[in-house]
Amino acid sequence: MKALRSRLSTIFCSPQFVLACALIILIAAPFMTGAQQQMVCFAIISIALAQSLNILSGMTGQISLAHGAFMGIAAFTSVILVKKLGISPLLSIPIGAALSGLIAWLLSFPAARVKEFYLAMMSVGFGMIFSEIVREWESLTGGVMGITGVPSAQLGTFVVAGWVLSTTDYTRALVVFALVMLFTLDRFVRSRWGRALFALHVSEIAARSIGIRSGQIKRQAYLLSGILAGFAGAMYAHLVSYIGPESFEIHRSIEILVMSVVGGLGSLAGQVLGGIVLTFLPLQLEAFADYKFIVYGVVLTLIFVVMPSGLAGVLLDPPRFIANRFRAKAINLSAIPVERKRIVGEEILRWENLRRDFAGLTAVTNFNFSLKGGEVVGLIGPNGSGKSTTINVLTGVYPPSAGRVFLKGQDISALPIEYIASRGMVRTFQDPRLVGRFTVLENVMLGAHLHQKYGWTEALFGLGRVTVDEQSALHRAEAALSLIDMMEFRDSVVDSLPYGYRRLVELARALALDPDVILLDEPGAGLSEAEIGRLKQVVRHLASKGVAVLIVDHHMDLLAQLVDSVVVLDSGEEIFRGSMNDMRSDPLVAECYLGNSDSNATKAEGTHA
Amino acid sequence: MNFAATLLVAGLSVGSIYAMIAITLNLTYWTTRTVNFGQGSILMLSAMGTIFLARVGLPLGFAVLVAVGVAAVVMILIERIAIRPAMSESGSMGWAVSTLGVGILLQGLVARYFGSQAVAFPEVLMSSDLYLTVGGIRIGAQYLLVFTFSIVTIAVMEAFLRQTVWGRAVRAVAQDRELAGVMGMPVSGIILISFAVSGMLAGTAGILTAQIIGTVDPAFGFNLLMSGFVAGILGGFGSNIGALVGGLLIGVIEQFASGYVSTALGHGISMVILLLMLAFRPQGLFGTIEVEKA
Repeated sequence: MKALRSRLSTIFCSPQFVLACALIILIAAPFMTGAQQQMVCFAIISIALAQSLNILSGMTGQISLAHGAFMGIAAFTSVILVKKLGISPLLSIPIGAALSGLIAWLLSFPAARVKEFYLAMMSVGFGMIFSEIVREWESLTGGVMGITGVPSAQLGTFVVAGWVLSTTDYTRALVVFALVMLFTLDRFVRSRWGRALFALHVSEIAARSIGIRSGQIKRQAYLLSGILAGFAGAMYAHLVSYIGPESFEIHRSIEILVMSVVGGLGSLAGQVLGGIVLTFLPLQLEAFADYKFIVYGVVLTLIFVVMPSGLAGVLLDPPRFIANRFRAKAINLSAIPVERKRIVGEEILRWENLRRDFAGLTAVTNFNFSLKGGEVVGLIGPNGSGKSTTINVLTGVYPPSAGRVFLKGQDISALPIEYIASRGMVRTFQDPRLVGRFTVLENVMLGAHLHQKYGWTEALFGLGRVTVDEQSALHRAEAALSLIDMMEFRDSVVDSLPYGYRRLVELARALALDPDVILLDEPGAGLSEAEIGRLKQVVRHLASKGVAVLIVDHHMDLLAQLVDSVVVLDSGEEIFRGSMNDMRSDPLVAECYLGNSDSNATKAEGTHA
Repeated sequence: MNFAATLLVAGLSVGSIYAMIAITLNLTYWTTRTVNFGQGSILMLSAMGTIFLARVGLPLGFAVLVAVGVAAVVMILIERIAIRPAMSESGSMGWAVSTLGVGILLQGLVARYFGSQAVAFPEVLMSSDLYLTVGGIRIGAQYLLVFTFSIVTIAVMEAFLRQTVWGRAVRAVAQDRELAGVMGMPVSGIILISFAVSGMLAGTAGILTAQIIGTVDPAFGFNLLMSGFVAGILGGFGSNIGALVGGLLIGVIEQFASGYVSTALGHGISMVILLLMLAFRPQGLFGTIEVEKA
């Protein structure tokens, strides 16, 4: 079964197979009946829609029920441009798609402020506004009657530069579109941007903490998704030669969602499967029309339990997110330095009078400290003493209520997380927030995101710095993996790894950033003796390279072996600073660990840490 | 003036139903952090159920009770079949999609067996022709009755939450589900209660709306759900007082927009409010921002 699946994947996902299919349709098109040609066109449009939704929902985790409206915007735009202004459809279709993209991009601004189901509701609301506008703006959109006689190949009215396109020509044009779409998207999914979208899906804070600019990236994802849905919508309009508001309402969005989840969210090949199956099945089964929504309802209700990865999960190997061509090519590894030169002993991080309040409770107050390159400091204290809050404030998860933080002499207080990361300070989390479906190497590659410079268009078309950047990022990731001694697991899927390994992978991901300061939140928790050994190795290596390390942990033996000094917090205030040995004999520290901790501060940490 | 007063009364009446719908969403949100995307179909189901049961000969009052009971049972099933198993999926993707699926399924089933046409709803409360005249202004008695009924129901709900053991248990689970479990509270039972009550209220809201509109069709609940959701967002999602204020506001705004500008604006304006609220004040007029855990 597994062998069969991987055989199937190799064939189905190979560029040669896709090209061959396209070629067959291109050649066979003139011999097909009109209905067959139309079916091919519908399938291609469905695939485009499924891919469009997949970018937002499958990759980025942004539920959208607005895709019907995105389609409609481009469809109406293109049709109106052709019919009323006489613009060539060759221009009007891309213009329509661009407008859909633009509006999707605008929608991403409010969308960035809300999460989860609010987003789904928002997209429904947007769709409803669109359909009200279409219904009301009769002079332009034809109102509820819609627009008939849309220039189309079927009616013989689809004219490009004096050339009347036949249905065969239109089918061929769509096949070419499909090819371009699939090859560009395939590059995109396996680029730093594609991987970043998956990282945002899992945890926005964790993604931002390694320098992924969530706002910008989500906007781009909306833009791309909107453009793609727009192309599909405009092509649909010129295929069926009629558009009306009901073509683009919530039912359409639900249909797109069904295609996408049936195919398998997050899988490019899955979207192709979903698009094809849901185009052909309904046409083959007479009874389907009557039971369409009942079937859709059942599918949506059960899919995540029965078949969470969709058809792709059953039929194909899970997709990988680093292109093989970058892995295969031999590059001169030593040519690319993975670590910056740093000066041991130079002050890197300093904070002054740091305070953070939560709804009247003070979690940390009046905290001053500085860290030098190569220094390893332990931050300890009982639960609720403000350790995690300190890390959160330093790295920008919460802005400080008062006080300032300087990184390499620059004031970074209240900078957003991703900007602090890009300036060289990175953190790990108590619970590893990795992309479960990624391999170890793919996850660690995310840490090199910041060091890659290529943009979206370069990613889509494989231009410019893509090759260089991907290879050097691979090199960085592999160097980080060697450091934690986990090269042998680089192609294991993270979900299949034990907890301790996952924590180490998260550490490697942080290392791939080549940070100047690294903040480790309980790095020893849940690690076996052997894994702790690797952790110690890494910390010592970092210190020797001039990286400043701040460790929050309860594991005193571990700390004793690693740190130069410790700071003890109690109820958000510093009560001790000095060596581990002195700390052990300090009466204040002893008292706070014997349980005299302030209950207020405990609460503050309890709710916010 | 007369026209405005009529709109105001209609708005408050419809708005009180929106408030009730928003509260049904709050209930499940509290205990499970989920919202039933198919809630619209629950509204439709109880209204359709009433019609069906009345047709087969059940006394009207009894038909209403049974229909509301069915709504509660369906909600419990939704929790079991669509929400609980989907919780393993990270984020809201799993349950949002599965509950949406249940909604579509119910709508599809009803459309299949009753047709997609609107069906007349019997006069459960009183004739729609009755009206009162207050200071020269005619006020539909039905509107008043619906308004009163919704407000009383909401008040009873609040009393239940604040005064009874089960109500307090629901609130405790809302505060901290894990802690409530550790303290030995029957969390999964409490969740079921929250879904059942949510279903009953949703069923009631559906019947009241059907009473005002006069007809029901399979797609009837969807727009209502959206208006209810906007009401919740406006007041601050998760707050019942917010839901009440938000519901009444949305109801009145919609009526005035339809009455003075166009019905399309009446339909669209709450969606515009939704987008604006989510863009600029997602915590609602009265809510506070939830700090995301790091």
